[in-house]
Amino acid sequence: MSLRHAVGLLSRPKAEWGAIRERRYAVARSFVTHTAVLALIPAIAGYVGTTRTGWRIGAGAAVRLTEESASRIAILSYLAMLAATFAVAWAIHWMSRTYGARQPYGQCYALATWTATPLFLVGVVQLQPILWMNLLVGLPVLAYTVYLFYLGVPLMMEIPEERGFLFSSAVLAFGLVALVALLALTVLLWSSGFGPSFTY
Amino acid sequence: MSGTYNYTVVRQFAVMTIVWGLVGMLVGVVIAAQLTWPVLNFDVPWLSYGRLRPLHTNAVIFAFGGSALFATSYYVVQRTCHVRLFCDRLAAFTFWGWQAVIVLAAVTLPLGITQGKEYAELEWPIDLLIAVVWIAYAVVFIGTIARRRVRHIYVANWFFAAFILAVALLHVVNSAVIPVGLWKSYPLYAGVQDAMVQWWYGHNAVGFFLTAGFLGIMYYFVPKQAGRPIYSYRLSVVHFWSLVFTYMWAGPHHLHYTALPDWAQSLGMVMSVILLAPSWGGMINGIMTLSGAWEKLRTDPVLRFLIVSVSFYGMSTFEGPMMSIKTVNALSHYTDWTIGHVHSGALGWVAFVSIGAMYYLVPRLFGRELHSLKLVEVHFWISTVGIVLYITSMWVAGIMQGLMWRAVNDDGTLTYSFIESVEAMHPFYIIRFLGGALFLAGMAVMAWNLWKSVRGARTSEAAIPAPAH
Repeated sequence: MSLRHAVGLLSRPKAEWGAIRERRYAVARSFVTHTAVLALIPAIAGYVGTTRTGWRIGAGAAVRLTEESASRIAILSYLAMLAATFAVAWAIHWMSRTYGARQPYGQCYALATWTATPLFLVGVVQLQPILWMNLLVGLPVLAYTVYLFYLGVPLMMEIPEERGFLFSSAVLAFGLVALVALLALTVLLWSSGFGPSFTY
Repeated sequence: MSGTYNYTVVRQFAVMTIVWGLVGMLVGVVIAAQLTWPVLNFDVPWLSYGRLRPLHTNAVIFAFGGSALFATSYYVVQRTCHVRLFCDRLAAFTFWGWQAVIVLAAVTLPLGITQGKEYAELEWPIDLLIAVVWIAYAVVFIGTIARRRVRHIYVANWFFAAFILAVALLHVVNSAVIPVGLWKSYPLYAGVQDAMVQWWYGHNAVGFFLTAGFLGIMYYFVPKQAGRPIYSYRLSVVHFWSLVFTYMWAGPHHLHYTALPDWAQSLGMVMSVILLAPSWGGMINGIMTLSGAWEKLRTDPVLRFLIVSVSFYGMSTFEGPMMSIKTVNALSHYTDWTIGHVHSGALGWVAFVSIGAMYYLVPRLFGRELHSLKLVEVHFWISTVGIVLYITSMWVAGIMQGLMWRAVNDDGTLTYSFIESVEAMHPFYIIRFLGGALFLAGMAVMAWNLWKSVRGARTSEAAIPAPAH
């Protein structure tokens, strides 16, 4: 059922958002059938990619992560992804009143987690952890995710499209800020001894 | 007491904003290409990256941003004070004087004539001219406020006035040098004091030139374009004073882990983190003002520029304090993360809010309608994509650089040579080049659109209405 929505959001996003809205999923249901499952893709792909495949810088030998370090990173990033869906849902719920939407938290959560579908799926490229290639593949997918979000907000929140544009932009700004915070937090953690350990 | 506003000088600066925007960003794209493909330096000294880079920063900050600030501040102060600009001739002098400064910069920087201080490269004779023009600017602006026919001084004018006064102070103090020839001088300050003065100047150039001035633009053009009053006037005044007070102290975060005394670094870091609060006061005010104007979005693509600019302002003023934290800075400093941060502010905030203001201003100054709203929308989307490409590539590149530079082997030797980290940057530099090229293309669309709008138009004059109170 989760996968059907995922496929639908890629092939006929507008109709699929309508279908998701009508189902009125409870938070637990969205979480168990969608978030918890799909977030495994980038986590596992990342673990396999960094421990088995590795990456090369210049002419050097392939760099890999130790299994212990990679598994810790995989678990942490899995949890971070789960937390991120709740954080974005919280932001949507918190801002909804300003933009004239009165939807329960469940709808906000569904919007947040199903928007992230393309990002979860593209996580599979981490099997081959070549940073610039992943960025190149990731950017169009990111663009599609943003499009999906702008499409989904007015539909899921049942507000006019123009108002939805402002709402989406505000949530996007929140998302960017959260991303930067995560970036800074990661660097702080790395610098205080929780850094990844490499093997060559 | 009726009469007309002085639109002549506003028009001149508005036109030059577009021209210098195109030139400055073109130089930016050229140097981005040079970083990607070094062969483009052609072994010609004046075409080399080292000389063109200060030309790019000076052109986009002082020529493009400066002209936008002159144009908007002169427009706003007249409209909100219900009075013609003080002294037409002095205003004209600021226009021609500022253009002369820009042309002199465009000649001397490629020749390698420089003081070597970032954003303050120009040699002392040009610095003197800048000081004279700037004081004339202050006289015109404050003189106009003094002659106002409305009792209240609108908050945008507070921001503009703070920007003008602070930049005068910064420029004079930081440019104090001992000349040893027409085109060579040495700073008055020695060693780390010189560095501290430079970054006190440098960060406040960001804080006052690129922030306070552009907040002035926001506080006039956002409510105007949205057609509704500021969300909270009280907040605008509170965050004005806190912003002005706090920015002055943030400079030392440019000198983390240098010879600067540790307490000064920590003070700079603390003040930078505090700065988040007043910055976000401005962002919240902008976003909440725009939030009520959603029904206008259908017909007005210019609003999109303003919405995104305020969002980027919020994002980059959050990123800045994060990066000023010493532990984060240990990784991010000297990497491309900084370049990405600067451009999310410069392209996302400064350029976008200026673009919004120009779309508002230029048709009105020539008494015409915008030629094509569709093209405004095209401009919006290509430049937004350009910014995203730019920032994401620099984030990844910067963190990768930081990690590679600090990676050590078990025996304590460095894992990577510097050139290996340069080599690893190549793909990201290509993406950055594409992002910059898209942004430049957007500017070209804007220039064409505005040209079509005003071509053949006669200049427009506006009568000064009687104040309402």
